[in-house]
Amino acid sequence: MTDSLAPILRAEGVDVRLGGQLILREVSFALEAHTTMAVVGASGCGKTTLLRTIAGLLVAERGRVRLGAEYVDSLAANRRGIVYLNQEPLLFPHLNLFENIAFGLRLRRLSESEIRKRASRLISLLDLVGMERRHPQALSGGQRQRVAFGRALAVDPALLLLDEPFSNLDAETRASMQHLFKRLARERGITALFVTHDLKESLLVGDRFAVIRAGRMHTYHDRREFCADPANGVDREVAFWSTLARGGSGTAP
Amino acid sequence: MMRRALVWSLSGVLVLPLVMLLLLSVARSWPWPALLPAELQTRQWRELLAGTGGLGVIVVRSLGIGAGVATLATTLAFASSRSVARHARRDQLLVLLHLPFAASSVVLGVSLLYLFLRLHLAGHIAGVMLAQLVLAYAYAVILLVGWWNTEVQSLEDLAVALGAGRRDVWLRVLLPLARPLLMVCLLQTFLISWFDYALTLLIGDGQVTTLTVTLYQYFSSGDLRLAATCALLLLAPPICALVINHRLLSATVSTPLDLQGD
Repeated sequence: MTDSLAPILRAEGVDVRLGGQLILREVSFALEAHTTMAVVGASGCGKTTLLRTIAGLLVAERGRVRLGAEYVDSLAANRRGIVYLNQEPLLFPHLNLFENIAFGLRLRRLSESEIRKRASRLISLLDLVGMERRHPQALSGGQRQRVAFGRALAVDPALLLLDEPFSNLDAETRASMQHLFKRLARERGITALFVTHDLKESLLVGDRFAVIRAGRMHTYHDRREFCADPANGVDREVAFWSTLARGGSGTAP
Repeated sequence: MMRRALVWSLSGVLVLPLVMLLLLSVARSWPWPALLPAELQTRQWRELLAGTGGLGVIVVRSLGIGAGVATLATTLAFASSRSVARHARRDQLLVLLHLPFAASSVVLGVSLLYLFLRLHLAGHIAGVMLAQLVLAYAYAVILLVGWWNTEVQSLEDLAVALGAGRRDVWLRVLLPLARPLLMVCLLQTFLISWFDYALTLLIGDGQVTTLTVTLYQYFSSGDLRLAATCALLLLAPPICALVINHRLLSATVSTPLDLQGD
């Protein structure tokens, strides 16, 4: 078992430039194994850019990314052991639910019985039993997101990158997915970077916290430290909802 | 009423020439101004099916050239259309790809002939196939380039993020996703080759005869009955292709690359 205190992911002074514009500036942080770092920030602040850079889908202009004992900057995206879960639960439209979940397992050339065993276990865990032969077009948004989530978990990634994965779901499905993620993260010892623009969601799923403002990343060791920083607006959010709950009105934080 | 009249007149326009060809192909004598042949015979069909005059060989050769050109054009175009679609000068490249169609086949054939004569390709099947490939490849790239949209790019990225190498991305994602369109492309490029006359005549230098060229020869020689029989034979693969095309396109429309709300 990996030492949970040892950082599994470390970014060191990462700068990323897109279309001539510096999107991320000197981003440095460390994330321990089996923990989830919730990364919040306004739209366009560079959250997705950070995930795509760590995933190997974008190249950093400066700085390095280390995964475990290895610098992964020069590794192709498919060799990093990192799985990137998109904002849209992108499924392969030509594959049914089972084959979508088994996709990464087939790439690893596992035996058919092992693929069936692992995929079936996840299908059961994600409450998708009986839908194995359905194609993505016949699934609801929540079901698609669960399939995408299952497909990511199937390959036991060293690091899971989640880019606002539940933002397109209705409130009820979203809440159930947040709880499901939290439960699976704990049970399976998942290490994840969870990007969201929703403070409540970040507080629910995160063990560590980070905020990106104007391309710079500020990290917090725990929930208390994160909430205590007035720049994050947690107190304003709490006050707003408390006022609403008491029957008052207020300006959205 | 109007709609029915339109349907009947359209059907008549489309079917009547085929009926005329069919009657001609079995006519022994059809004196003017009779509406129908006075005597029927099956000589043309027997001659055709027996392969007299080398027609059987010509049919097989035409099918072979068509299949070869279609396979090469579709395979090459599928790979290169991805580069064209994502190239910074995509629009300029597409203009270039339209050039073979801007000039007539005769102009293209004459310009290629000089080169092919020097390369000793004129008068050979390989030369004819290469010449037809210029047209078929350009057409195939133009047909396929629109398929490479941002959704396909996202699926490629997804496959890579899950551990797929370049080969796996092509074999497990891109080829299965594009299969209906590739089938359409195969059939369309086959038709380009099948109906080609000018390029085959010029580059083939009279040594490579296809069914289309033979049809023109029958007409030129005045043997209308054999020409009609040959024309019917020439129409058979395209009609099959159209039916298959229609089915594939229907299947593509009913199961689109639906990523909305994914």
